Amino acid sequence: MPKYLARRIGQSLLTVFLTLTTVFLLVRLAPGDPASAYAAPNATTAELARIREQFGLDDPLLVQYGLFLRDLFTGDLGTSYSFSSPAFDVVLDRMPYTITLAVSAIAVTTVVAVPLGVWMARRADTRRELGANVLTIAGQSMPDFWTGVMLLTVFAVVLPILPASGFTTWSGLILPTATVAVLQLALVSRLVRREMTTALASSYITVARSRGVSESALTWRYALANSAVPLVTALGTRFAALLNGVVVVEVVFGWPGVGSLVVRALETRDYPLIQATVLVTATLAILVQLLVDLAYPLLDPRVRLGKAA
Amino acid sequence: MAEETPVTAGPPLLEATDLQIELITAHGVVRAVDGVSFTVRRGETVTLIGESGCGKSTTAMGVLRLLPEGLAVLSGSVRIAGRDIVADPDAARAVRGRTVSLIPQDPMTALSPVHTIGHQLGDALRLRHPGMTRTEARDKGVELLAQVRITEPRTRWKAYPHQFSGGMLQRILIATALAAEPELLVADEPTSALDATVQASVLDLLMELQERTGIGMLMITHDLGVARLVSDRIHVMKDGRFVESGSAQQIVERPAEPYTRELLAAVPRVGTWDEDGDGRSEPVAEEAAS
Amino acid sequence: MTTAVSAGRPSAVTARDLARATATRQRRGARLKLWAGAICTALVVLPVTLAGVLPLPGANTQDLSRRRLPPLSEGHLFGTDQLGRDLLSRVLHGGQVSLAVGVLAVLVSGLIGIAAGAAAGFFGGWIDAVVSRFLEAQLALPLLMMLLLVVALFGPSVTVITCVIALAQWPEVARLTRSLVLVEREKAYVAAARVLGLRSWSVLARHVIPNVVRPASLVVLLLLAQAVLLESALSFLGAGPQRPFATWGRIISDGQDYITTSWWLVTLPGLVIALLVVGVNLLGDGLRDRTRPRSGKGA
Repeated sequence: MPKYLARRIGQSLLTVFLTLTTVFLLVRLAPGDPASAYAAPNATTAELARIREQFGLDDPLLVQYGLFLRDLFTGDLGTSYSFSSPAFDVVLDRMPYTITLAVSAIAVTTVVAVPLGVWMARRADTRRELGANVLTIAGQSMPDFWTGVMLLTVFAVVLPILPASGFTTWSGLILPTATVAVLQLALVSRLVRREMTTALASSYITVARSRGVSESALTWRYALANSAVPLVTALGTRFAALLNGVVVVEVVFGWPGVGSLVVRALETRDYPLIQATVLVTATLAILVQLLVDLAYPLLDPRVRLGKAA
Repeated sequence: MAEETPVTAGPPLLEATDLQIELITAHGVVRAVDGVSFTVRRGETVTLIGESGCGKSTTAMGVLRLLPEGLAVLSGSVRIAGRDIVADPDAARAVRGRTVSLIPQDPMTALSPVHTIGHQLGDALRLRHPGMTRTEARDKGVELLAQVRITEPRTRWKAYPHQFSGGMLQRILIATALAAEPELLVADEPTSALDATVQASVLDLLMELQERTGIGMLMITHDLGVARLVSDRIHVMKDGRFVESGSAQQIVERPAEPYTRELLAAVPRVGTWDEDGDGRSEPVAEEAAS
Repeated sequence: MTTAVSAGRPSAVTARDLARATATRQRRGARLKLWAGAICTALVVLPVTLAGVLPLPGANTQDLSRRRLPPLSEGHLFGTDQLGRDLLSRVLHGGQVSLAVGVLAVLVSGLIGIAAGAAAGFFGGWIDAVVSRFLEAQLALPLLMMLLLVVALFGPSVTVITCVIALAQWPEVARLTRSLVLVEREKAYVAAARVLGLRSWSVLARHVIPNVVRPASLVVLLLLAQAVLLESALSFLGAGPQRPFATWGRIISDGQDYITTSWWLVTLPGLVIALLVVGVNLLGDGLRDRTRPRSGKGA
């Protein structure tokens, strides 16, 4: 187990490192010059050169990369061009908002999608289930920015009962959560249906039924426990994706998380800020997936105890 | 299907009359079981034998009403403990795990892989005896495991299915079936997934059990060797119908139908167990990690 | 449904049993999804492809005297936008770009995915290690963020956006192809072909890939739905193609400012996207249900 853990963490670090390098190269190889974004509109060539020097952009690419790595290992991700403060701190300031939204969305998703998926599996192919099935397809087909704008219009403009943007009161969390949850709900409940349909058709369920085990125990104790690994994997993957910043939804609702931050960083070519955002979000996402991997032994004894008899 | 050897007295535990099972598949309606009648009484073993696809397993699952509701249409009647489970789905639920138990075909997939043996056996016990505490269920379960010759039952109570060999799992499943204290056992090819030597020990166990408790048994097999060894009466099944019925001795020694003779000829030497040849071998020392 | 039953005993299967059978219900469900999917898709795709020949005002023709007319106004079925442009015409012309990007992206990602997945599954070894690493990394990456980054840096041309979406999608195809090839590789005909002295790459190209393309192509429709959604999200964030026509996400993002007074500017283009994606998803789901019938267990 420790050996597996070490290898797994090693792989994760490698992934983060490769991601960062890719981003570093991408931003610098692309056309466009950040200096012009920060200089006065009619800046002279000399002024632009001075800004470039200040940002360290006049060094050869390899030197820049070396400096970037050196700073990375000392925990310094550079200073954000637009915020004029350490990029890492700017990202960390935004992180709690993104985490709040992600946790709230995944909680709503779990609470609704699991019972819904189980119900769909037990009623599979009936008229009502077909209706629910088509609704989940609709749920995963609506563009989330559109769902967001529509919810916003109805609940903040037409019936002004909820705040339209920002996060000043907890009620401000409702609309963004609902918008994110519609899509996640559709995806997760369909997965639960698929897994539970397979589990309920398994031989061990029929044999347990022959022992007189009730249908509800068969569903909730036997079949659900056997679907736990794919279910937790899916929820973990969804959660990791949400931590990456629900860019679109954050923009629609003016949510002060990393998603809206990254859009701004891209607009202003704020290289250190882009790099810091990618580092923090990729690390978090990988951490969540690592935790999911580590949860497998708790969910499945075959992983915990080895396959051999 | 006349009763030729009235082995035991009393009303039949299981009485199937003109049982017909039709399966509604994507390719049309298939009549898997075409009007069969048979009875099983206390203390006797009745065997349905035939090649795969002849409808014998469908019959076994049908009499327990374990075929998916959206797939199988049952007609005729099946009386277990006096209640007709074809007419009344609740009757099937009432007798399962009380009057009748199932020993399934493939022991490797018949237990939930993420629950311990103890959890599943304890469940079966506490369903039968609703007042039973966990400790009592455990003591009783350990006793049952010992009865089916699982060594160190107390430590294995907490083990998971994947830690056992196929033969041990089948014995555990027999113990689980016995937890219901049933009067009737339906054994659906209980040995066909097992190695030859293990087959013998499982069959021995079942016969010893029957001698001790007088349980009635409906045995499903494709193996005439097995059938000859355990049965009082044999029904030879083909295309959903019984082609020949009679006492075990009569069927083996004086088969009337050409189909039965073909089946007999397929057994290399009567008395040995024809191995399925799936290559699943039993560990020599059945010591699972515990 | 044929009733293949020998003469004699009458069948006990009633019409009600047949109607309630799982097989019947599954077939009915699949048929309903296919029909509904085909109708929804056609409702969007046909007008979009015919946008050029339909009698519509130009998509970029402004008429400041006829600004923000509501739907069903004279000559403007969907109304007009803040610059007096016909909304229906904008949606249909923008849809041509959206659809073209989606179809191209799926083609590119399908080719890359099948090639990479097949090579990884068939040859194993270091090729598999490299491809699998990519597949894993893609799961961990902040996807939309990376896409935005690339578009922000290289400009929102149709080519860049197509490539970016293909880049986001190929792992899905690769993962599926790899698992299919892993199964296919163990089959007897592969060994036979090798014994006959065929080179392994020609076994792969001539025998293995044709056998996995059909099951792998089932995801194509689902990928197309995703690609359309992804493109509209990018364009909503201002990273979508502008020329020759603004795409759906952009139209919605422009209309956002007028949401309180002119609801149709956001609602109608959104409904068009949803209708298309629902249709494509329903088609994909229905096809999958139909080709993978869950069979009940027999005797």
